Amino acid sequence: MRKLIEFRNIVKSFDGQVVLKGVNLNINENEFVTLLGPSGCGKTTLLRILGGFLEQDEGTVIFDGQCIDKVPPYKREINTVFQKYALFPHMNVYENIAFGLRIKKMGNDIIQQKVNRMLSLVNLEGYGKRNVTQLSGGQQQRVAIARALVNEPNVLLLDEPLGALDLKLRKEMQRELKRIQQEVGITFIFVTHDQEEALTMSDKIVVMNAGEIEQIGTPLEIYNEPVNAYVARFIGESNIVTGIVKSEDCVRIDDRDYETREYRFKEGEPVDVLIRPEDFDIVKPKDGILRGVVKSAVFKGVHYELMVETKTGVSKTVKMNVVTQHDMQNTATGEKISANDFYVDSDDLENKEMTDQDFISIANAQAWDDNDRDISLTRVTHNIEKKPGVYQITFATDKKTEITVKVYVVHPEYVEDPRHNIGISALDFFITPDEIKESMAISTDLKTWASAEAWNLQDDSPVEITDVNFDFDPATVTEGSYDITFATQGREYKVETTQRLEEGDKVGLSFGPDDLHLMRKAVHEI
Amino acid sequence: MKSFFRMTYPYILWIGLFIVAPMIMILLYALTKDGGNRTLIFQFTFDNFTRFFSDPTFMRVLWTSLRIAFLTTVFCILIGYPAALFIANLSERAQTMMVLLLTLPMWINMLLKTYAWRGILMNFDFESEVKVFIGMVYDFLPYMIIQIHTSIAKMDRELLTAAYDLGANRWKSFLKVTLPLSVPGIISGITLVFLPAVSSFVIPKLLGGGDYVLIGNLIETFFITTGNWNFGSAISLIMALIIIASMWLTKKLDRNTQED
Amino acid sequence: MNKKSRWSFLSNGYLLLILLFIYLPIAYIVLFSFNDGKSMTKFAGFSLRWYEAMFKDRTMLESIRTTVVVAVIATAVSTVVGTITAIGLSKARPLIRTAILEINNLPVMNPDIVTAIGMMLLFIVPGVSLSMTTLILAHITFCIPYVILTIMPKLRQLDDNVAEAALDLGANPWQALIKVILPQIYPAILSGALIAFSMSFDDFVISFFTAGVGVSNISMYVYSMKRYNPSVNALSTLIVVVVTLILVLTNLIPVIKDKRTKKEEQRL
Repeated sequence: MRKLIEFRNIVKSFDGQVVLKGVNLNINENEFVTLLGPSGCGKTTLLRILGGFLEQDEGTVIFDGQCIDKVPPYKREINTVFQKYALFPHMNVYENIAFGLRIKKMGNDIIQQKVNRMLSLVNLEGYGKRNVTQLSGGQQQRVAIARALVNEPNVLLLDEPLGALDLKLRKEMQRELKRIQQEVGITFIFVTHDQEEALTMSDKIVVMNAGEIEQIGTPLEIYNEPVNAYVARFIGESNIVTGIVKSEDCVRIDDRDYETREYRFKEGEPVDVLIRPEDFDIVKPKDGILRGVVKSAVFKGVHYELMVETKTGVSKTVKMNVVTQHDMQNTATGEKISANDFYVDSDDLENKEMTDQDFISIANAQAWDDNDRDISLTRVTHNIEKKPGVYQITFATDKKTEITVKVYVVHPEYVEDPRHNIGISALDFFITPDEIKESMAISTDLKTWASAEAWNLQDDSPVEITDVNFDFDPATVTEGSYDITFATQGREYKVETTQRLEEGDKVGLSFGPDDLHLMRKAVHEI
Repeated sequence: MKSFFRMTYPYILWIGLFIVAPMIMILLYALTKDGGNRTLIFQFTFDNFTRFFSDPTFMRVLWTSLRIAFLTTVFCILIGYPAALFIANLSERAQTMMVLLLTLPMWINMLLKTYAWRGILMNFDFESEVKVFIGMVYDFLPYMIIQIHTSIAKMDRELLTAAYDLGANRWKSFLKVTLPLSVPGIISGITLVFLPAVSSFVIPKLLGGGDYVLIGNLIETFFITTGNWNFGSAISLIMALIIIASMWLTKKLDRNTQED
Repeated sequence: MNKKSRWSFLSNGYLLLILLFIYLPIAYIVLFSFNDGKSMTKFAGFSLRWYEAMFKDRTMLESIRTTVVVAVIATAVSTVVGTITAIGLSKARPLIRTAILEINNLPVMNPDIVTAIGMMLLFIVPGVSLSMTTLILAHITFCIPYVILTIMPKLRQLDDNVAEAALDLGANPWQALIKVILPQIYPAILSGALIAFSMSFDDFVISFFTAGVGVSNISMYVYSMKRYNPSVNALSTLIVVVVTLILVLTNLIPVIKDKRTKKEEQRL
């Protein structure tokens, strides 16, 4: 195959923001090349530079052995299918397609021949006289392709041409585009952010990220041997875990060693390890390399997509004291008020400025009148100190309806897990059965009531608490003491299987050395 | 695409000569002494301005102009808002028709319409100011209605449905949804009414007779009758500054409401 | 009556009142243009005498001629210059574009009387005596901004890619302009021209200060009338008829065109 286009060290920035950071890329004759990446990665900019609509700041574009940096778009043997088609709204289908030929001052009979041939190539025979604004998205798309191809360019540029179409039409046009490319036998350069589109149509995929090319390869190469976690995540579903290379054919993940068949890495090198969801086999727990519990199972048509937790996260259990508290009533005004005793952590008192509003929400204090209208609490008085002990706090309304509850100031109790670098804390709390019954999102409310928090031990950034476990029925809960466990995410794997499994099933996961793909740690993460 | 920019060169030349240069002329005249015989002499002074602000007669004229422009604006909003709202509630076809009916008189020479009002108002025994006021409200009302209507019509109708759904009644959803969203329309209506009303001089002359003088008439007098161009220029500059200041103020107001 | 129909009765009634108010002087003019008497308050019977008088009134006819000549020239020049400038500006760098548009806005924002005396000073100070030419120059100057302001939004709505598509298909920038940009902004150019024409046709203030001795347009004629002249009613009535016809036509033509193309499509 002959090299047709060569980008040499292309740099481009807009308003000081670098969009392309020195891109080098070769494109051969008759190739279907896809530039793939998320929006803002620079793929469209690269395409527009090739089309002649943008000028690069640095670097050179070579086309068919010649530098075309100074060639205006209308003199380039390249045509473009624009994102929103950019059809000429004041011309009908025929005139749109004939535009380029009329500019070249071809004879009417030749134009007619060529346009008709194009119309049949894109399956739009008989649509010549239609107004382009009244065509469907797919039809406009075909006109745009025909309008570009009729000029017999060496290269066709397609800028996310399928983005505006619905799923079914998009699939149809994917096949159609591939057919047209094979039929006319010219180079197609296709820009998309849709990995599936890239995989189905391309001869060559160029994965871009933040102005740079991450990987160039055939669809199979890109899927099976992504160079880093970025590419792996972008193409297909993936499980990526970090590991350390122990020896030529062994990698350590989560304190266990696994056999691999990749020999490219040095001993002691940290790597990302990719396991595709379809590469797992579901086996009996005792036969599995990994054992876990099914956390969720979603039916996807042909297969189930499971999330299997093989290791729990960091957890903390607290006591929920369910007590019935009596509303205080102010007989003079008809107002009622309620609040709960509560626990508060001495560190919080020390480090955070706890406002009256904070106390009102922790105590779940509220007041209302005969008509059930909310009344604001305007006065909060307390004798809380920063050292552990039992104190009192009084909430009151303007009309002096008030309630006093106990405040237990306690030393903070953290659970810290240095291996995961995660700390978690939560406090015992008091609550009434009614409040539990009224809760619309019980897990979220439990987190609030218990002031449950988890964080990264290194940088103090918050970590999500994904699991809230309890064994009472919120609808029928009665007075008493209950255990609530809060936990962060453990190790979870996405698994594709045709077996039917349900949440809570215990399974074993099995895979072979070929299923582990080791990748160099990506320098930049998204 | 640089070649396209060359297309603007003739007009850049034109605005330099016919828009910027005249403004400089006014500025020069306003800041220099009356050289007699309407000529420009380069003796700079602020006398023209101090004369205007120290003379109670001129201040009264300025006050009258601001007052009538303000009243006109307020009445245009009061009369125009319900009209705009009612129009927005009509069917699409009726809306187009109403807007067309409102625009049509705007295309007819203002002097001729004012002249007709003179005939109509001859039948009544109103004070000059009332006549001028009626003429001004008449002339500017369509602009106000159309501006407000545009902003209401542009509003997403689903917002009202959402407001009803969230428990607001008709009146509440008007106050909380329609009114705030139509504020930009009111603001642009104000700029289209207040500004020309302040400087208007045809309507007071035709409807108010000679005894009703607004700032526009003052400028005319000093340019045409008295021939003191320096003082006339100073008055126009003062008026232009007042207008720029009120534009700036309304723009700021607009931005504030949009931030809320 | 239920609540809903009472509401629409009220709102329709209100709108009717507004329309009555707005059309009152116009109806008054039309009515009194057929008055047999000279009074502006008493209708003395039907006659066409003021139409006859109008066509015999030399000064009035002259002012009509001046108005039309000035409006036609000002419209033609301002439409051409405005269109070219707007297209140029749409491709200009944002900073330059904003700067030029700000200055362009001055005559729109400034009170007419300020623009008017500015122009007058500009002509008289270097010794140019006021004439028909100065009147036309002034009209062109205040018409161009409106043409630009009408065309700019339409240009901005244009899909940039459409012009690029033309270049992509081999058209040079000039061909792209003629074959692709102009046909798309054509309606905006037309309405810009219409606005320019009506601005010029109706102008009083700027004409008053920039026209030479003996040059007078309709507005100036009406303003300077010493006595009440019912021929003005006849003239106004004719203008109302013409304006109505133009507006109805410009609003109907797109509707009719639309219908016709839809019919043609159905036949396909």
